[in-house]
Amino acid sequence: MKDSPILLKVKNLRVHFPVRGGFWNRIIDKVKAVDGVSLTIRKGDTYGLIGESGSGKSTTGKAIVGLQDATKGHISFMDSDVTKKSARKKMNYNHDVQMIFQDPELSLNPEKRIFDIIAEPLRNFEHLNNEEEKIKVLKLLEIVGLGPDSLYKYPHQFSGGQRQRIGVARAVATNPKLIVADEPVSALDLSVQAQVLNFMKKIQKEFDISYLFISHDLGVVKHMCNHIAIMNRGRIVEIGTREDIYEHPLHIYTKRLLASIPEADVNKREEHHKNRLEVEKYYEQNKDKFYDENGEALPLIQITDTHLAAIPKNMKKG
Amino acid sequence: MWKTILRRLLIMIPELIILSVLVFILSKQLPGDPFTGSINPKASMGQIHHLMKINGLYDPWYQQYWHWVVHLLHGDLGNSYEYQEPVTAIIGSRAINTFWLALLTMIMTYAIGLPMGLYAGRHEGKLQDALVRIYSYATMSVPFFVVLVIGCWIFGYGLNIFPTSGSVAPNATGFFPVLLSKFYHMILPATLGALFATSSITQYLRSGVIDAKNSNYVKTAQAKGVSMNNIYKHHIMRNAMLPIAAFAGYSITGLLGGSLFTEQIFSYPGMGLLFLNAVNFRDYTVMTALVLLYGFLSLLGTLLSDIALSIIDPRIRVE
Amino acid sequence: MQEVESKDINLKKLEAEAKANSTPSSFKLMFNEFKSDKMAMISLILVSLFILYVIIASFFINTSNMMSTNIMNYFAKPFTPDFWLGADAGGRSIAKQLIVGSRNSILIAIGLTAISSSVGIAYGLISGYFGGITDLAMQRVYDFMMIIPSFMIIIEIVNIIPSYNAISLTLILSMFYWMGTSRLIRAQTLSESNKDYVQASRASGTSTLKIIFKQIMPNVSSLIIVDTTISFAENIGVETGLSYLGFGLPMGTPSLGTLIANANDADNITTYWWTWLPATIEIIVLCLAISYIGAVLRRATNATQRRSTK
Repeated sequence: MKDSPILLKVKNLRVHFPVRGGFWNRIIDKVKAVDGVSLTIRKGDTYGLIGESGSGKSTTGKAIVGLQDATKGHISFMDSDVTKKSARKKMNYNHDVQMIFQDPELSLNPEKRIFDIIAEPLRNFEHLNNEEEKIKVLKLLEIVGLGPDSLYKYPHQFSGGQRQRIGVARAVATNPKLIVADEPVSALDLSVQAQVLNFMKKIQKEFDISYLFISHDLGVVKHMCNHIAIMNRGRIVEIGTREDIYEHPLHIYTKRLLASIPEADVNKREEHHKNRLEVEKYYEQNKDKFYDENGEALPLIQITDTHLAAIPKNMKKG
Repeated sequence: MWKTILRRLLIMIPELIILSVLVFILSKQLPGDPFTGSINPKASMGQIHHLMKINGLYDPWYQQYWHWVVHLLHGDLGNSYEYQEPVTAIIGSRAINTFWLALLTMIMTYAIGLPMGLYAGRHEGKLQDALVRIYSYATMSVPFFVVLVIGCWIFGYGLNIFPTSGSVAPNATGFFPVLLSKFYHMILPATLGALFATSSITQYLRSGVIDAKNSNYVKTAQAKGVSMNNIYKHHIMRNAMLPIAAFAGYSITGLLGGSLFTEQIFSYPGMGLLFLNAVNFRDYTVMTALVLLYGFLSLLGTLLSDIALSIIDPRIRVE
Repeated sequence: MQEVESKDINLKKLEAEAKANSTPSSFKLMFNEFKSDKMAMISLILVSLFILYVIIASFFINTSNMMSTNIMNYFAKPFTPDFWLGADAGGRSIAKQLIVGSRNSILIAIGLTAISSSVGIAYGLISGYFGGITDLAMQRVYDFMMIIPSFMIIIEIVNIIPSYNAISLTLILSMFYWMGTSRLIRAQTLSESNKDYVQASRASGTSTLKIIFKQIMPNVSSLIIVDTTISFAENIGVETGLSYLGFGLPMGTPSLGTLIANANDADNITTYWWTWLPATIEIIVLCLAISYIGAVLRRATNATQRRSTK
């Protein structure tokens, strides 16, 4: 995918939240949710953004979609600078960049019928007449595997997995070029997760959509993503292709995440357990080396032309 | 915690200022002036204009406001048009009456409302609870003064149990008879007022008790074998009653507002009745002073309640 | 085009299938719950009929005639063919005053509720959705409005304005009674605004105004209905109370409050009880009925909430 056109470029994104305190409620500190994140998504990519809660991955996703304003840095979409809200509005940014939300309970308006929920982006960005609109929504429902009888029902009548599929249908409605999926399967039962992921893959092929797949679970991501960025404490600590990350992890945080993937093979249980303990021990002994005096991650160093890691300079192996 | 209190106090200052400006502007809009009718009726318009001029009534409004505030802070609220006496003196005795009536009403409210709320919560779902709830919503919806009129009619005039006017019997002498007579006069309006005001306390307490009943710490106590009575006494009541005590300050606004009606119906010589008379006799200095006083007392009450709540509720404290 | 054509044939069939499976909206559900409570339905019908009667009947009464004093009928006794509810000190028919007074008081209460609820709802929605400084500022205004002695100030205003009628009075009153509603709505709006569906709407390109009024407001609509009903019962007491003290509608305009004010005279309250008792009873019954309807509505909305949080 290296020669695919660049869809989204994020350069040094910072999102800082002010902390108010003191008597006059002045700003006394800031929470650096996203502190210098850069990534490039090309057409056709499924780009994974992995990290634990609080790492800043959701905030990054929101900043890319435009739900969160960037404090510093640049975001450009297909060569247009979209960092500012006014720029995004002018080019109808969200027609091309959409979002799938994490919680199926909260991401659909309980007072709206499915028809109105899915049609909402259509009504804002495309001007279809009633018939065209209805046809489009019916088609979208069909794509995510729901029948036309869902049209006038309410979200509470559907299961979690079905609601996520409705969310996917809504995200796909305007045929966007990039969809930011913020932990789309984390709130679902394991058996349903595979189903929703398969739908997402199917849609990607059919509509030529690129994904930014945000998750905390490297196990889920293994089947979906071709590029992966690992985030920790607001910064990216490792970027690479799927092979780079799973076969040659360099940063201890990445190694830790990999070690924590539950192993389904019972026979390998002992081996896996031993491996995890080893990684833990290594982590405890060496974690300070991988972070600077302020506790923040080191800058990224180029390892190969696809692989970067935030390791101390002396650790870089040939 | 002190930070919250200090911040709260500081917010009070602009509120006070805006209140005083509002009250002052309103008072300036009221037609008439302090002099016509008080001095020699044969005084000419020219003489009246002259008097107004030297008293600063033609100065720009902000100057007049400043003078007014300065006088205010010295305790001078001006003279009553009607009685030609300092307003502070006139309000003084009335204020005491209103104060005692309001205090008694508040006591009665808690005396009636607390047991009712606890009782209803304890017997949730049963007939007693239903009755209490019906009573609550009945008193909440009917206008306050209607409750007073009916009550006065039934208990005052009809059954002739309680007196229906004045604050003390004219022939009472000596400390205790006067005290008793005063109490006797206050009991009917206070109880009626309390009946009306209990609904919010009852509701709050009832839901507090119900929540506490289902909470883990009560279930633990039950498992340990503590009797239900003791559970109620030591755990539930204490937790539910603390915020209620804090709400007392908020009730001041309502009590003061209600005083207008209570004192009218029962011809009780308090600040409320004074205000109504002042309006009818166009005694603007008294009117203005009372509006300011009522607003200030409401402000104080809200402040005290906010502070009390911030002390009690650990969640609010962590700021 | 081909796609549209082939779908065209099926569209009608699909549409029919969808409609057959459609679920009633929360409004319909709430209404059905409400209907099942016989007492509530009866109350609603009776109250509506009463209001209608009072409005229509008052058209047939000539107000100036009615309010003119006729000493001959001084305190005429009730239950006579001429004076169904007797007459007051000025010989004026209580029954006629009751009809016109009810109309006035009820219409003012309706107007007051409509205006103050609308203001309160908008205030709460805006304050709750935007949060931050907007909310802080709006809350300060709210705090201030809560401490000023509304009744006294209304009385002062009424004395300042040279002339006013029922409409201007309603507007003046509305300035002071929107706070309760706004507090309720704000609390609910705050919690709704944090939910993902609001973010999803923003990402779908919906404008802020549409989000507040078309996405969030439906979720507080049940709250609005219950609060408006109960406020209506409470607001009846506002103008009536004012008129009772003598500061409500201008002289010569009857109101439920002016009728109840007849009880101020120590003689009237016992001897000439018909001057004030009918109006008092009417207010009590009306307020109880309306707040009962409100209580049943609240119960109905709780039932519909349960289904949506399955």
